[in-house]
Amino acid sequence: MNRSIAVAYAVARKDLTSEWRTRELVPALGQFVVLALVIANFGFQIDSRNATVIAPGVLWLALVFAGLVAFGRAFAAEREQASLEAMLLTPASAAAIFAGKAIAAALLLIACEAVLLPALSLLFGTPFNAELVAAVLIATIGMAALGCLFAAIVARVRSREVLLPLLTLPLWIPFIVAGGQAVQVAMGASGNYNQAVALLIDFDILFLVLTSLAARFVLDD
Amino acid sequence: MSAIVAHELTQRYGSEVALDSVDLALDQGEHLAVLGDNGAGKTTLLRILATAARPTSGRLEIFGLDAVRERKALRARIGFVAHAPGLYPALSAVENLEFFCALHDVDRKRVPETLDLVGLTDVARRPAGRLSRGEQQRLAIGRAVLHGPRLLVLDEPDASLDSGGPDLLASVMRDRTVVLATHDHALANRLCQRTVVLRNGRSLGAGTRLRVVR
Repeated sequence: MNRSIAVAYAVARKDLTSEWRTRELVPALGQFVVLALVIANFGFQIDSRNATVIAPGVLWLALVFAGLVAFGRAFAAEREQASLEAMLLTPASAAAIFAGKAIAAALLLIACEAVLLPALSLLFGTPFNAELVAAVLIATIGMAALGCLFAAIVARVRSREVLLPLLTLPLWIPFIVAGGQAVQVAMGASGNYNQAVALLIDFDILFLVLTSLAARFVLDD
Repeated sequence: MSAIVAHELTQRYGSEVALDSVDLALDQGEHLAVLGDNGAGKTTLLRILATAARPTSGRLEIFGLDAVRERKALRARIGFVAHAPGLYPALSAVENLEFFCALHDVDRKRVPETLDLVGLTDVARRPAGRLSRGEQQRLAIGRAVLHGPRLLVLDEPDASLDSGGPDLLASVMRDRTVVLATHDHALANRLCQRTVVLRNGRSLGAGTRLRVVR
């Protein structure tokens, strides 16, 4: 167990160090989500009456597309550098390597969320509170696990940019439904926040278990 | 004791046969050169020996272990240098090797001595992406021997290396079983006791270096 944690930590640290030095992904994602919010702000004619209805949808749309880019890059970069094989030809467990990649990709998306959530509050005038942040962070965990699994699967095919959304988006729908409800309530709409967050946690557990089991078969061939 | 015993190794990609019923036997400590034109099947054979690919059919034992079923256990004993260096360009030479120390669960103290072995001590802190192609190849060779493998599988390791390349290869190959693919017959003759020639995925024959090279 300690060995797996050490491997996952080394992989995540390596990915985050590479991103910190190259700054390839996070600045671009940050700009993307802000632009998406600006466009939505003009396109939807937002006012105080409809902001809490429209803002959660805009948030999840921006988050989903930013996530597809972040998780897609996690394995595409390894393939382009031909470094994934070198990593997999070590005795380190594939599940630990996968966990490290998923943790790094999730942290990069969280960095993007650190721009997205305040910008959403600024542009849409919606509340920015702990419930909102918690709901988005909890959803990010399961979305990262699923996104990275499919990114690993499609990394070896040419049409990966098309395949990744096709495979990932349908399985992200539960997170968007439950997360959307939690965010709406956090922004002041009526509903049961705890129930929505509990559902998100259930999805997180389910997909973390499934992806860690599947990672071995996906990465080891 | 045999280091490698391969029986009728075959690799197919759809209808294309990349490797066709190749037999191979190598004792521990022996150095084997794999020669052949482009597309002869050298890389396919080496990838199977490095456990990076599974053969479509045939049997392969490395150090007495089944190379397909027990490949995880074998990976600690095999070092592989592939065509592409496969380095992390934003990480320095030291950081690249330290990362692989973590994956191999070996002490980081091996990093300085490995950098010294491959002649990269002076550029140890330079990002791998800013190393020359030859230096990157040296770093890839260093990564392959970092964990002290008993079997070294080298796919054209002399590509991009300067005139000191053969000496470097000789030093990392010492006391190890080695399978080396190359187009350089002189290098094969210098570094390996035995040679096998592949053409269109088939073995044309194996022998001592003198018989085959001449």
